[in-house]
Amino acid sequence: MNATWLLARRAIRESIRTPEATLPTLAIPLFFLAVNVGQAARVFPTETTPFLHGQSYAAFQLPSSLLLAASFGSAAIYLVEDIERGYFDKLRATPIPRSAIVLGRLLAGMVTALLIAVLMVLVSLPFGIHVEGGVAGFVVLIALMAAWTLVFSGFMQLIALKSRSAAATQSGSIVFFPLLFLTPGFVPRELLTRPMEIAASCNPVTYVMEAMRSVILEGFVAAPLLRGFAVLAVLLAITFCLNIRLVRRYD
Amino acid sequence: MTFAVEAEGLVKHFHAKGRGGGTVEAVRGVDLQVRAGEVFGFLGPNGAGKSTTVKMLTTLMTITSGTARVAGVDVAAEPDRARTHIGVALQEVGLDARQTGRELLVLQSLLFGSNRSTAQGRAQELLELVDLVASADRMIKGYSGGMKRRLDLASALVHEPDVLFLDEPTTGLDPASRLTVWEEVRRINARGTTIFLTTQYLEEADQLCDRLAIIDGGLIVREGTPAELKAELKARVGGHSTPTLDDVFLDATGRTRERGAGEVQEVSS
Ligand SMILES: Nc1ncnc2c1ncn2[C@@H]1O[C@H](COP(=O)(O)OP(=O)(O)OP(=O)(O)O)[C@@H](O)[C@H]1O
Ligand SMILES: [Mg+2]
Repeated sequence: MNATWLLARRAIRESIRTPEATLPTLAIPLFFLAVNVGQAARVFPTETTPFLHGQSYAAFQLPSSLLLAASFGSAAIYLVEDIERGYFDKLRATPIPRSAIVLGRLLAGMVTALLIAVLMVLVSLPFGIHVEGGVAGFVVLIALMAAWTLVFSGFMQLIALKSRSAAATQSGSIVFFPLLFLTPGFVPRELLTRPMEIAASCNPVTYVMEAMRSVILEGFVAAPLLRGFAVLAVLLAITFCLNIRLVRRYD
Repeated sequence: MTFAVEAEGLVKHFHAKGRGGGTVEAVRGVDLQVRAGEVFGFLGPNGAGKSTTVKMLTTLMTITSGTARVAGVDVAAEPDRARTHIGVALQEVGLDARQTGRELLVLQSLLFGSNRSTAQGRAQELLELVDLVASADRMIKGYSGGMKRRLDLASALVHEPDVLFLDEPTTGLDPASRLTVWEEVRRINARGTTIFLTTQYLEEADQLCDRLAIIDGGLIVREGTPAELKAELKARVGGHSTPTLDDVFLDATGRTRERGAGEVQEVSS
């Protein structure tokens, strides 16, 4: 049987056995969605806010919450635990490709993220959010989120492999602050102040967020989707290559 | 004759972290020849380089210079092929608290290429061997230190390795569990598995090992059967009583007892 898949299954079993680690990744983003909408929805009524394309402000906010759910980097936390407990060496003593050890974790992280994304979107549907892109749009939305999960967890795994310390890996996760907040999170990019707009334009998450948003609010619009997937493809290629390189050189 | 373990000029340097950290020469040129079928003891004081040597021999750590073959396979050139011949239980047990003992053994077996039914059969066999059947389906998190050690040992055996490396397998065990592990080591060895064992307990080496080497400061300082080493010391130093392995160890590593060795023995005789 394929080693990556075997290790992914073990990792999924592990997250099922630690609901206390998985539940916050669902609850916290939903909390932020409710809070952000509660704070700003009256400033942006559907009728008079063109950038909402006739939907509620919650629909505009959903991508931020999905991206937050995808930026916990749980895969890396589990990986560094394996390293600290010596189980990582037990896996390294088997004749499986080194890459399977990191890719199995990422694959499991992606499966969990997919489930969380589906749940979150389903939960938000009754609150007046609908996905303009329809079922295909829903799939694209989930795919964008899954890809971002891989990028973020992959990046965190690099810290885990390099530092071999849970504390350092936890600290590494604070990069999610600039990544998620230097974005057009509350209004479209054109409405940001100039410095904020520059910062957001340099941030890859902006393009993923805009791609998600376009699918929810406008359906299939080529430009934002292409930009979003292109950014993700480049980041995925980089994090995958670095992960495989680091695990092969692990000493 | 081909050896089960053969190392020539094994060297490991660590680069200490930070600027101007310098280099730690953990292993400084180790030659080893372990014959197929024997129990080989690898002794040495703390920090001598035992674990580092074991990790290099088992493909878990890169070799700075020198070569090593296990079961005839060069560990640096063909690590995956070498791994199929090697079983290893490191000094720190390496377990996953969120699996059951059985799940861990089945997974380990699958990763070595078994199919599922073989893996399940093998797991059951090993659980019986290390006397963990009763706790097999409990989370490892709840295992005692001794149970973890035994499970760790079992997990090194899933693929019936030709050479089993055990880094301090009995450290932290109570005297009864220690005897159990000795029994297991003997049984595994009797089935034809070569055993490479490091230990801090000289009595353990005396009881279990056909031959042994003493490493100090990254270099081998003695090598031979326990009887040979004692005889050599007696011939060199003289004295009435036969030296123990402790005496050999202390002599080899330049460490002394608080009082002279002879004095201690007079008191005890
Ligand atoms: N990853 C590492 N980085 C730097 N130095 C290391 C590393 N691992 C081991 N050392 C150093 O190498 C030397 C040999 O260590 P090793 O763990 O091989 O000793 P040992 O004989 O197994 O000792 P013990 O009986 O205490 O287990 C020590 O000085 C140790 O500090
Ligand atoms: Mg050691």
